[in-house]
Amino acid sequence: MSNQSKTRTIEEINEKIRKGDAQVLTAEEMKKLVESSGVAVAFKEVDVVTTGTFGAMCSSGAVINLGHSDPPIKIDHAWMNDVEVCHPGAAVDLYIGATNMSLKQPFEYGGGHVIQDLVAGKEVELRATAYGTDCYPRTQLKTNITKDDLNQFQLLNFRNCYQRYNCAVNTSDETIYTYMSKLLPRMRNATFSGAGELNPLMNDPDYETIGMGTRIFLGGAQGYVIGEGTQHSPKNLNGTLMVKGDAKKMSPEFLQGAAFTKYGTSMYVGLGIPIPILNEGLAKKTGIRDSEIFTDVVDYSVPRRDRPKLRQVSYKELKSGSIVVGDKKIRVSSLSSIKMAKKVSQTLKTWIEGGSFLLTAPVERLSTDSVFKPMRQTEEIPFVVSVMHPAITCTEDEKIQAIAERIVTKSVNHIVVIDDAGKLRGIVTSWDITKAMAEDKKALADIETHKVHTAKPDEPLEVASKRMAQHNISALPVIDVEKKVLGIITSEDVSKLLGRQKPW
Amino acid sequence: MVRLLLRFTEEQVPQPIASQIIIEYKIPMAILAAHINSKGGEILAEVPDEAQEKIVKAFQKRGVSVTVPKLIEVDAEKCFSCGSCVALCPVEAISIDKESQVQFNKEKCVGSTCSICVDACPARAIKSVKQTNGDQTAAIRKK
Repeated sequence: MSNQSKTRTIEEINEKIRKGDAQVLTAEEMKKLVESSGVAVAFKEVDVVTTGTFGAMCSSGAVINLGHSDPPIKIDHAWMNDVEVCHPGAAVDLYIGATNMSLKQPFEYGGGHVIQDLVAGKEVELRATAYGTDCYPRTQLKTNITKDDLNQFQLLNFRNCYQRYNCAVNTSDETIYTYMSKLLPRMRNATFSGAGELNPLMNDPDYETIGMGTRIFLGGAQGYVIGEGTQHSPKNLNGTLMVKGDAKKMSPEFLQGAAFTKYGTSMYVGLGIPIPILNEGLAKKTGIRDSEIFTDVVDYSVPRRDRPKLRQVSYKELKSGSIVVGDKKIRVSSLSSIKMAKKVSQTLKTWIEGGSFLLTAPVERLSTDSVFKPMRQTEEIPFVVSVMHPAITCTEDEKIQAIAERIVTKSVNHIVVIDDAGKLRGIVTSWDITKAMAEDKKALADIETHKVHTAKPDEPLEVASKRMAQHNISALPVIDVEKKVLGIITSEDVSKLLGRQKPW
Repeated sequence: MVRLLLRFTEEQVPQPIASQIIIEYKIPMAILAAHINSKGGEILAEVPDEAQEKIVKAFQKRGVSVTVPKLIEVDAEKCFSCGSCVALCPVEAISIDKESQVQFNKEKCVGSTCSICVDACPARAIKSVKQTNGDQTAAIRKK
């Protein structure tokens, strides 16, 4: 420790690590110490706190250099285990993206699984095509490779370690499948992601020690922070990191391919960062608890950039297994593995204690005040509200004859059944009326459909149109949150509008 | 107790078959899950071991298809304890223990009649599999 004992340096800590004297605690242990003995004691006693997270990190992948074939090839398209890999650079440089999906087993096997298989030492089939040049004459390639055959195999993830994430619910009437996993209708479940108080960035939220060049635990080996991650938004506690490491040394336990039904494939990444306790401030910051970390409960049934936020919730509540939204108690599941996050921080602690992992000072600090900018869109996209028109309605006490007449005079195919308050009760189509005539049914109740598929005014038209196709229907009443009928859209409206659009 | 999966056709739905059998044979039958509408459906029922043969025969005599439900199995090698499945389970057969490890209680699970967790597992560690319990399947095949 330096003379005033108010700070210590990374070099001093590394000296202790070399001698085997460094005091290393996992984030979990540090929080208990700060709570029981206070910040001053924790600072005095602890040199390093190890953090960890293990979650689905879609912006992950690996750079591969295959080495040259004979005769050589300048790859144009390539597939590994039938997963298309990109060829962003020269002849035999490839990038396997975690979310690229297999042609044969889409949504089940993808780039993340290819990386996991390679890391596990399995053989992977590589196919490639090329147009052939004077210097690279070959046009076809098929070979089987393992990681040992690769010239280089570097994990290169451009967005990892999200500081915190949303809690997701679905207020609609149908199950939806998202990157936040399966969300049951009417908020019958909730999901969240992130390790909360164990997350590296939550333990150093001012990026005092985590920066470009920081040595980290990545996928079971040593890796490095190479800069801020994409969508890094530290000002509102949504920081991210860009990281790299030698995938040949990594372990399949800490890099696992994942499949999200009807969403796609991804990869779970184990990432841990040692926080050197350089001053009391860092001792205090690494004492942060789940009860102090908040996130929003977000309604994923609204397919828009800005989804409705229903309330704020702490990671303590999220990890308790249930949250309350309005008057409803909702069971909540984690998508990232807290068990594995703990294992990451524990493994990193063992490495440092064993002297095989030294700390680094950042060569450049990451930004602490940037925010995530939305996309500029130069072309407008249509929403339900832009094509909906007034619905022709009836009430349940009306006679079928009267409804039939309305269909003719208004020349429509759908009559929306409403109650006195204008709220949706059901729908009747011209086909239902024809059937009623044929079967001599007199009561509206006998022919009315009560389970009606609907649209919301702020939904993208494409989403509503997909719903019509999926249920093989030709109209959707447009309703507000109280089920009041605002209008109707029909497949004709959609085809008129979407038909005009350029397919670019 | 033995679990049986009873499948009803559109014609059988309006008939009080299950209650008739319960009354006639005086056998208690627990309904663990039921998915039925006017087009048909299935019931997952639990009956005492000793009553199994009688019950199976009684349902089969009335034309109801009786099978042994598939079980849900978790591949411990693949599961990394994210916990995605936990909140989905309607019978709370899945929980997270103090070590943040996902625990699966086979006794509570209602099997393939539910399967709500299967497609929510990002590790694809959950599968619905045929029961290997020889006694049960044999009893049903005998007719």
